[in-house]
Amino acid sequence: MKFDSIIIGGGLSGLVCGLRLQKAGRKCAIISSGQSAMHFSSGYFDFLDRTPDGKTAKDLKEALGNLPEEHPYSKIGKERLTGYMGSVKEFFSGCGIKLGGDPFSNGYRITPTGNFKPTWLSLEDFSLLENESVPWKKVLIANIEGFLDFNTSFIAESLESRGTACRTSVIDIEEMQRLRRNPSEMRSANIARVLDRQECADKAVSQIKQQLQDEEAVLLPAVFGLRTPEVKDRLTKAIGREVFFVATMPPSVPGIRTQMRLKEEFEASGGVFLAGDTALSPELAGSRVMSIGTVNFGDIRLEADSYVLATGSFFSKGLSATPERIVENIFGLDIISDTQRERWYDTDFFNRQNYISYGIRTDSRMRCIKDGSTVENLYAAGSVLGGSNPLYEGSGAGTAIFTAMYVADSILSSVNTTL
Amino acid sequence: MSQHGKKNVNEFDVIIIGGGITGAGTARDCALRGLDVLLIERNDIATGATGRNHGLLHSGARYAVTDQESAQECIRENMILRKVARHCVEETDGLFITLPEDDLAYQEKFAQACRSAGIEAEIIDPKEAIRMEPSVNPSIIGAVKVPDGSVDPFRLTSANITDAKLHGAKIMVYSELTGFIKDGNTVKGVRVHSHITGEDLEFYAPVTVNAGGIWGHRIAEMAGVTINMFPAKGALLIFGHRVNNVVLNRCRKPANADILVPGDTVCVIGTTSSHIPFDEVDNMKVTPDEVDLLLTEGAKLAPSLATTRILRAYAGVRPLVSADDDPSGRNISRGIVLLDHETRDGIKGFISITGGKLMTYRLMAEWTADAVCRKLGVDRKCQTMDIPLPGSKNEDIEVISKKIWGSAGTIRKATAGRHGDLTSRIPAGNRYDTSLVCECEEVSVGEVRYAMEELDVHNLVDLRRRTRVGMGTCQGELCACRAAGLISQAGNCAREGKKDLKHFLNERWKGIYPVGWGDALRESEYSQWIYTGVCGLEN
Repeated sequence: MKFDSIIIGGGLSGLVCGLRLQKAGRKCAIISSGQSAMHFSSGYFDFLDRTPDGKTAKDLKEALGNLPEEHPYSKIGKERLTGYMGSVKEFFSGCGIKLGGDPFSNGYRITPTGNFKPTWLSLEDFSLLENESVPWKKVLIANIEGFLDFNTSFIAESLESRGTACRTSVIDIEEMQRLRRNPSEMRSANIARVLDRQECADKAVSQIKQQLQDEEAVLLPAVFGLRTPEVKDRLTKAIGREVFFVATMPPSVPGIRTQMRLKEEFEASGGVFLAGDTALSPELAGSRVMSIGTVNFGDIRLEADSYVLATGSFFSKGLSATPERIVENIFGLDIISDTQRERWYDTDFFNRQNYISYGIRTDSRMRCIKDGSTVENLYAAGSVLGGSNPLYEGSGAGTAIFTAMYVADSILSSVNTTL
Repeated sequence: MSQHGKKNVNEFDVIIIGGGITGAGTARDCALRGLDVLLIERNDIATGATGRNHGLLHSGARYAVTDQESAQECIRENMILRKVARHCVEETDGLFITLPEDDLAYQEKFAQACRSAGIEAEIIDPKEAIRMEPSVNPSIIGAVKVPDGSVDPFRLTSANITDAKLHGAKIMVYSELTGFIKDGNTVKGVRVHSHITGEDLEFYAPVTVNAGGIWGHRIAEMAGVTINMFPAKGALLIFGHRVNNVVLNRCRKPANADILVPGDTVCVIGTTSSHIPFDEVDNMKVTPDEVDLLLTEGAKLAPSLATTRILRAYAGVRPLVSADDDPSGRNISRGIVLLDHETRDGIKGFISITGGKLMTYRLMAEWTADAVCRKLGVDRKCQTMDIPLPGSKNEDIEVISKKIWGSAGTIRKATAGRHGDLTSRIPAGNRYDTSLVCECEEVSVGEVRYAMEELDVHNLVDLRRRTRVGMGTCQGELCACRAAGLISQAGNCAREGKKDLKHFLNERWKGIYPVGWGDALRESEYSQWIYTGVCGLEN
């Protein structure tokens, strides 16, 4: 089977790259094993909360000047990157996803434990706070009865410490009975499927209305609208107060929804999405990748002019660790990491962990390097890249999106020059 | 029930310092004899060496060649625990295997020594041993079958505490000894600081028992006596599933990493042995060298360990009493050391119980309670060899769980396995109580509530010891947050709940990073993204 580009990895980075290439007229395939960081999305995209030296990033353009050379943002270059930032909302709205916020500055989000954390752009149905103060004097925080992955008391404690009066309540819908029968079924995505049914959402709304007193806003777990678009606006209208979603513990309903939309858009624009498949046994000749196999295709090889590695880090199995070293799992590419195992971790769980910054080495055009030489038609995007610590910096989504755009543009420009 | 005409609420017959298995067992024994008991523990129960070992129900075979007395104690206690603590015990049997690199001649000597200690030891054909335990190294040239088993030390300690309480004992966890109340050369009582209420309290009793394990060294110092303790650290690894169903040992002189014990859903390899200074006993780290040694040696017992996921690494300190200058700590007797400080040091009203091992806790408790009774001048016989612990009182687990729920689903079996016949006290009346908090270990909301209300659970780490929340393959990834929510709801303090959640995650991380590669690192990356990324928790 022959494509113009084959992208390995169906998470945020692989999908953005595939969409950009496909929309520019390239025939693309995405091989997706199904494990994606989108499944633990916060409901927001982060770009850069703080620079590696620990300084809070306020003016994002300015913060870009303080990044080390090997940082993926530095490789894209400030000028090009700010261009991408300016067009990011347009790109996503072209895929049916409305992002909120200013792409050149950070706002705040309320986390599942009630913390206030800097963030960049909000996904559909989520709202950004301008600063760390609470915009309401009184709120109702409602949960679904028996749903343990959303903790109203954590959020209430935090808001109350900021001077907002909180009441908590539970919504009990009989259609959840079936889920409750098996105690492991009361999880976010299953609840969202029930609430996608109009009559169930209506019941939730009427219960919330009964519970409301003089609160200005209702905080709800983000378990609404897995399939229903713009559910927040509808709830707000029906309830008559502001509705504010807070992310739950995984799986993330907004993350799954965003990934589904991107995938549908990719397929609608003619891309081939190979779900539930895993790439393996690449064939290299000289400095080029010639073809790649997959588990499901068996002996049938997939060929392309260019390949994009968007396989993610450890969780998504793009990288793995042995007691001796960090390994890129498909091609055995060159890695940026520390050789001594003691250097991989900080002994405190909440401190910066070096292993999260490990990933593959690339040239300035994000082409991968194997045994010291550039692989000419193999590019990398997203968290498989080394050179930055996306968890410490809060730069995971930004890195995924913009390295994907950069790689797509690198591929397109190399096609244009060879033609 | 007081022996001495009790006047005040802060007066007891006996005060026991230490909530490990020795202290818990002693508290139960004394309470069963009708004494008024106070037990103080600065942390939670079973936080020291009690909860940091193999969980091996020794047959005594390991000591047969070098220490007949310990071997005899072990087999006797082994048989008693099978009766009185059966919800804590798994009767797996054990194999002592000889590898090509070992001396096969040792096997005969070993089997004979076992028999003379009263341990049934049967030399079997290596082929039969492989049939009995398919995970065993297939190159074995010899095998001896012995009545080893596994024991859950948390469950065992908790059951002793529960029974002590049922018999009137007062148990105070998170209550730290700050000093002794002395009158000349007589210990009259203890000063205690409660880490829960912040209060400083005083308690009085004619006899005080030091059952502080390795920390007993300092406790004795506070009372003005010297015990030369020997802190010998032993590191262990827990694997993510049960590779073996039979305990595997090496048939040779006891050495490093030569015991692999199955327990619940996991198995444990250990231990190393190294001398550590006293200032490290509260904060032990497992080094990369120890991990590598445990893995290399473990794979010799069961080769598939080399490719099995490691859940975590941990270490305990053997509370041995120094007898000579052996730097390895291995040749010091594990025998029980009961010190009456009146005859030894001229300090009245003070006893130390140390040495020994998990296996012989009941016997240690018996000796201690005997000594306490002698001091109090009362004559009450020990009953702990005959009276089953709560949880082990009646029928088997299937019957219990059927009785309570009408059917024996897997979740119910898991719960009944942990609590035995006390399972009936776990709330399961409504759908909220049956919601699952921890999917790996199948812990329900009801079980968490029971643990908080009746088992002195104050935080997530305590909860893990009582219910196994966060002990499974995900190592508390999501269940930690769920359980933190339940605890903070019950205590009505979300701020503390969040602090507790951070503490729990850091506790887990301590055991994970020494084995941070493969799936352990994958899960950790996920946890770190969720808790520091999505939730934004930080120091």
